[in-house]
Amino acid sequence: MNLLAQQLVNGLFIGSVYGLFAVGYTLVFGVLDILNLAHAAVFTLGGLVALWLVQAGGMSIWLAFPLATLFAGLLGLLLNQVAFVPLRKRADSQFSGLISSIAMAIIFEAVALGLFGARSVRFPQGTVSVHIWHIAGVTITSLQVGIVLVATLLMLVLTFFIQRTRTGKAIRTVAENERAAMLLGVNVNGIIAFTFFISSALGGAAGILYGLYFDSLAPDMGRSIELKGLAVIILGGMGSIPGAILGGLAFGLSEVLTVAISGTSNLRDAVAFTVLFAILLIRPSGLLGRGKTREA
Amino acid sequence: MKPFSRLLFAAAVSAAFVAAAVSPAFSAETIKMGFVFSMTGGAAAYGATQKEGAELAVEQINAAAGGGLKIAPIFEDDASVPQQGTNVYNKLINGDKVAVVVGPTLSNTAKITNPIAQQIGVTVLGVSNTAGGITEIGDYIFRNSLTEAVVIPNTMKVAKEKLGLKKVVLFYGNDDAFTKSGADVFRKVLQAEGIQILGEQTFAKGDRDFSPQLTQIKSQNPDAIVCSALVEEASGIVSQARQLGIPKTVRIIGGNGFNSPALIKNAGEASEGVIVGAAWNISSTNPLNVKFVDDYTKKYTRPPDQFAAQAFAGVHIVYQAAKAAGTADNRKAIRDAMVKLKGLDTLLGKFSFTEGRDADHSPVVQEVKGGKFSVFSN
Amino acid sequence: MLEQLAQFYAVYGSVINFIGINALMALSLNVTLAAGMLSLSNAAFAGLGGYAAGILTLHFKMPYVVSLCGGALTAGLVGLVLGLPVLRLRGVFLAMATLAFGEVVRIAAVNLDITGGAEGLTGIPNVTKTWMIYLALAGAAYFMAVLRRSRLGWALVSMREDETAAACLGIHITYYKVVAFTIGAMLAGLAGGMYAHLNYLITPRDFGFFIAVDLLIYNIVGGTRIWYGPILGAALITALPEILRGVGVTAGPIRMAVNGLILLLVILFLPNGLASIFTRFRPAAAKAEAA
Repeated sequence: MNLLAQQLVNGLFIGSVYGLFAVGYTLVFGVLDILNLAHAAVFTLGGLVALWLVQAGGMSIWLAFPLATLFAGLLGLLLNQVAFVPLRKRADSQFSGLISSIAMAIIFEAVALGLFGARSVRFPQGTVSVHIWHIAGVTITSLQVGIVLVATLLMLVLTFFIQRTRTGKAIRTVAENERAAMLLGVNVNGIIAFTFFISSALGGAAGILYGLYFDSLAPDMGRSIELKGLAVIILGGMGSIPGAILGGLAFGLSEVLTVAISGTSNLRDAVAFTVLFAILLIRPSGLLGRGKTREA
Repeated sequence: MKPFSRLLFAAAVSAAFVAAAVSPAFSAETIKMGFVFSMTGGAAAYGATQKEGAELAVEQINAAAGGGLKIAPIFEDDASVPQQGTNVYNKLINGDKVAVVVGPTLSNTAKITNPIAQQIGVTVLGVSNTAGGITEIGDYIFRNSLTEAVVIPNTMKVAKEKLGLKKVVLFYGNDDAFTKSGADVFRKVLQAEGIQILGEQTFAKGDRDFSPQLTQIKSQNPDAIVCSALVEEASGIVSQARQLGIPKTVRIIGGNGFNSPALIKNAGEASEGVIVGAAWNISSTNPLNVKFVDDYTKKYTRPPDQFAAQAFAGVHIVYQAAKAAGTADNRKAIRDAMVKLKGLDTLLGKFSFTEGRDADHSPVVQEVKGGKFSVFSN
Repeated sequence: MLEQLAQFYAVYGSVINFIGINALMALSLNVTLAAGMLSLSNAAFAGLGGYAAGILTLHFKMPYVVSLCGGALTAGLVGLVLGLPVLRLRGVFLAMATLAFGEVVRIAAVNLDITGGAEGLTGIPNVTKTWMIYLALAGAAYFMAVLRRSRLGWALVSMREDETAAACLGIHITYYKVVAFTIGAMLAGLAGGMYAHLNYLITPRDFGFFIAVDLLIYNIVGGTRIWYGPILGAALITALPEILRGVGVTAGPIRMAVNGLILLLVILFLPNGLASIFTRFRPAAAKAEAA
């Protein structure tokens, strides 16, 4: 077995899931300058709802996936409507938005706990048929390949959408300067709602892929990825989608390689957060970001 | 709000507190048992099955009691944190005036909350605490959960005999008292048995991705992977190990944490051949056990795990002690009766307490075969 | 009457203690929030203080008060060192940096031997009594009340409102920020030290990310603008499980949902926290500290 190659594959894989998750975070931050801490809860609910559709509804995963993703998007709309819209006029909307997203995250997790129980559950055996391949000393499963493909596809579609379509341009305009966008006739409220929809849909999709691969879904599964997601978008640059993708991959790789080199996972998170800390001190805008990072 | 109204408001809130503290009177033939399980938070999955096992026991005992001693259970949630555990202990012991406390789920919590019970003089029976330093807290603290210190040496002895292990890798969670102390015991035992430890890898609770560590482990070519984990992580480790291509001939050996049907359910095919040392075997032919598994599966539509079994047995143990002492509320008498219990018939087998008030019954070594936990024999 | 009080204390004594400690920690965060800085590291400072105090008591056999001071000073020192580079960052970035710092501290605590690893530091004599906690709390509350009217207080408030304008007025931004941050750290360290001596042990989990978020919640729910706001918030949220238990709600998910709902309702309708209910009917006081 080629040890290094295998670890690289591991890192690439987990990195693409982080990237997909982080993209949703960074989208909302770019447009609204708000950190939506309920994103991790939507991630969880997306996965759990997909599980429910497959298990109780008897659907195939190919149908459950888009449906659950849609549902996650709708959750995002709800989130926007309840927690962010009422606060937009306020002077400290960035801060209060953060707080209300925390509140919604708690409520969402409580709902997940109440509906699905505390135990971790998994997609029924055979939801996806898995083949294991050994290529050039590296072991890859078809599920891993599938997940990377789906994640990459979603991220490419998103990038294309943002860059090439009119709505995408409108999103970028609002992100750049909300007032100017309004003056230009952009339906700002609608765009923001739509952004939440996409962001949460992607978060939910990430949750489903995560649950499929790790065979484990639980109401608190968002917690571990929440912090990592934040680290990823700082690394990649807040508000930058390519940054989130790159950041996700870099983060996944660094995590895996830290374990590989140190021989223990004790330091894995410590290294990640130290790097995050260092980046914030040296280059807070991250690899590709361009947000304001100092006071006034 | 004018100052006086504020005072009134504060008085009303305090009154609510006091009202909650006063509990209704029970007849002398009902023993009040407090149950402290983690129904929310990190240990919620275990608390859930513990509550089910305990509820089943209470139900059955009360149904069979006729005019005799009945149990009045009070279930509380410690949210997997010692702060809540402390509050709940105080409420149960001083407010509800329970005669006995069963729990708490986590050893970490027990270390903080049990001294409270010890100081006041209330018996505590741990039904899932397996770390060190619990019963040492005092002579009111008991447990029926066989510690890793007893289960693991037996497991490794049997495994080495049957598999001829020479070199292994140790893989454990280093941020949980249970998994860490389990690993400490594994290490000592492996050294004593002369088995070489090629290396150690660790993970944290809540980790889902074990591929980096497992990849390292695979490259070291051990005869077996010795693992100290709770079931959530254990399932992930087992299934990812096989997905990574670690052959079934490299056995995975686990402790108490592995002993749950959730392992087989979540890891599926990959769990075949996993060796689990534990306090309880679901397929044991002990008639009390067979009945328990039957009743539990009927009531909750899924088979029980070790947490449920030990909680169930725990209720019986305390009940028998109370009956032997002939009292429903004399806390000291109940404690004295607990110490005297010998060879009690429980689903765990014949049960007694050791000198140190720990569990004294034989552990088992199991193997997952055909999707079930069966006794390990080669 | 006395007997009923004694009974009340026997049942709820631990809740009362925790309210005190949480209120103290909430106040420590309030110092930095008052300056408009969102710091998520106060839980870590409490942890540092707690561990330091615990180690001083256990390994160096220091008396309680010395350990507490040692804990507070350790936390304050780390706060000073951390604050200097970090406090130039704005809003969310500061939050992230302090959060990252908090996580590193927690992971260090899990992995070092001197902190007892995952099991934590055990065997700390439980010296802290309720009156001690409330004495410290009273002192901190007095300090906070006085702070508002002091030069430091005005500087902080003006920084919160508009940093550029404040700088133009000659207020040395970085200096005041670091001072506020360090004071907050010391207060948190004190609370942590008392906590360590309350429960025989202190573990890394007691000071993780979610505790940091809890501190934020105490402040928001209670109100950041007046000294008794954080205390109110801490009291309500800490006592909430008991209150709910009292009305028969024991299900975990419902408790969680109520927590979240309270936070949501407060932030949407009572942005200055529950304390603003009281100040609304005291126009003079409201004017004075709304500034």
